[in-house]
Amino acid sequence: MFGFGKKKEKKPKPEVKEESVVLTAERKEKLTQTISQKRASLEQSAGDEQAKIHEEIGLALFELGEDDQAIDSFEKSIELKKSVGDGYKTLLKLYNRKRAEAAKAKDEKALQVYLNKMDHMMQVSKDVTRGVR
Amino acid sequence: MGIVNFIIDNILTQASVTIALIAMLGLILQKKSFGQVLSGSLKTMLGFMVLSAGSSIIVGSLTYFGEIFTEGFQMQGIVPSIEAINGQAMNELGLGRDIALTSLAIFVFNILIARFTKWKYIFLTGQAILWMATMTTVFGYVAGLRGLALILTGGFIGGVFAVAMPAIAQPFVRKITGSDDIALGHFCTIGYVFEAGVAKVFGEKGENKKSVEDLELPAQFEFLQDTYLSLMVVMTPLYIITAAFAGEGFASTLSGDTHYLMFAFLQSIQFVVGVYVLLSGVRLLLGEIVPAFRGIAMRLVPNAKPTLDCPVLFPYSPNAVIVGFITTTIGCVIAMFVLPVFGLAMILPGMLTAFFAGGTAGIFGNVVGGLRGAVVGGVAHGFFITLLPALLVTVFNSMGFVNATATDVDTVAAALLYAWLIGPLLKAF
Repeated sequence: MFGFGKKKEKKPKPEVKEESVVLTAERKEKLTQTISQKRASLEQSAGDEQAKIHEEIGLALFELGEDDQAIDSFEKSIELKKSVGDGYKTLLKLYNRKRAEAAKAKDEKALQVYLNKMDHMMQVSKDVTRGVR
Repeated sequence: MGIVNFIIDNILTQASVTIALIAMLGLILQKKSFGQVLSGSLKTMLGFMVLSAGSSIIVGSLTYFGEIFTEGFQMQGIVPSIEAINGQAMNELGLGRDIALTSLAIFVFNILIARFTKWKYIFLTGQAILWMATMTTVFGYVAGLRGLALILTGGFIGGVFAVAMPAIAQPFVRKITGSDDIALGHFCTIGYVFEAGVAKVFGEKGENKKSVEDLELPAQFEFLQDTYLSLMVVMTPLYIITAAFAGEGFASTLSGDTHYLMFAFLQSIQFVVGVYVLLSGVRLLLGEIVPAFRGIAMRLVPNAKPTLDCPVLFPYSPNAVIVGFITTTIGCVIAMFVLPVFGLAMILPGMLTAFFAGGTAGIFGNVVGGLRGAVVGGVAHGFFITLLPALLVTVFNSMGFVNATATDVDTVAAALLYAWLIGPLLKAF
């Protein structure tokens, strides 16, 4: 019932599925290019559009494995306009990753920072769902 | 010896002091400076006092509501509000200290279970732990437990729930989010799994499954934008209509010089004010304790899986949230009229529970049984989450609670565990 049986079979090896896709040189080149293009277009845009561009830059940076820079872009995007698209989901994933690293390193300060950021993400989700601007 | 006795009898019996001491312990364990420890402990104590003040306001308003409802409809009308239950248990019933210590015990058991078993869930939603502690304490007390036994039993049961609920939700959460790194920590999970079960039976299957997300839905509910506004949207009409049914003759005896309908309106606002104050108190109360203990938990269980509040799932299925909210509300309203037929109390619908629990349940229904699953499952969910709290009403009444019952179904399930299993077992031996 409820698919519990299935879960048990899988249980012994909860495969850790990290994004270990190897980027080809071409893809890397393409992403870097996209990022610089988007960055250039940031100046001519404002408000919601700017938020969208920041989100796209963030997603490209994330694919390149530049986690810190990606976080920075996503945060800018959400600050400009709260949204719960791919950027939101990736940002939450990144925060959680940072939180886990901080916990392993026993870095209390960073741990609290990321726990609070994750709390904030819950508020963003609530606000967007309820239509708060 | 006299001094020690004085401290034990007059200071440690004060719930606010116990709670401040718990916060102090957490802050000291975090190696905070003297100033931070002092201010953190005092803030926590202040939080408790604010919570108490909020509770008094709520009780005042609910007492009035109870009287006009009984007069107007010749039956009891119960407001589902875990805040009201928590406030009354902590203050009017004098269980504040035990609830605070039980919260701490739940936390410790949660860490122990996560540390030594394969279920690595750490419950991060502090408020939910406080609600759980409230229910285990109240129902443990009814079952006859006192002192350390009350606290440890509550801590153990709460700790098991804190790990088991995210664990049973996880197969669904994996399906919804497509990953395994975040878990759901919300004490309405039994309702979610219930909706998923109904959706499995009545929903669409295999290739016929039509996801709610393929539909175009108007996405926003303006009146839900503010928690307190949405409370008012429900409470104000409820109070005014009830007062009208009670009639001017009766309602005027309660309203003094004010017009009886105006008085009902003001009392409904008063209820919202009470919730506002109480929740500010809860925030102050938990503001220092929760970060301290979360930090400790994460260090003791470094590979922990953090469980987050229900909005974590909203982005993955926004339409299902809307469908879940609407269908759950429908189910609650059906239950409101059906339950009294079977001799149970009338449970009035709670907008906020319908939104958060209903919305999340909708996501579960949709992922299992598509649109039809979400709709049928949602109505069943609404009925279910109204039925369970209705079963507690007699116990709440006998303990002297004023016109309220609990909301979050996992805490209700824990309470029923006491009422149906632990209590009878204790009495048998």
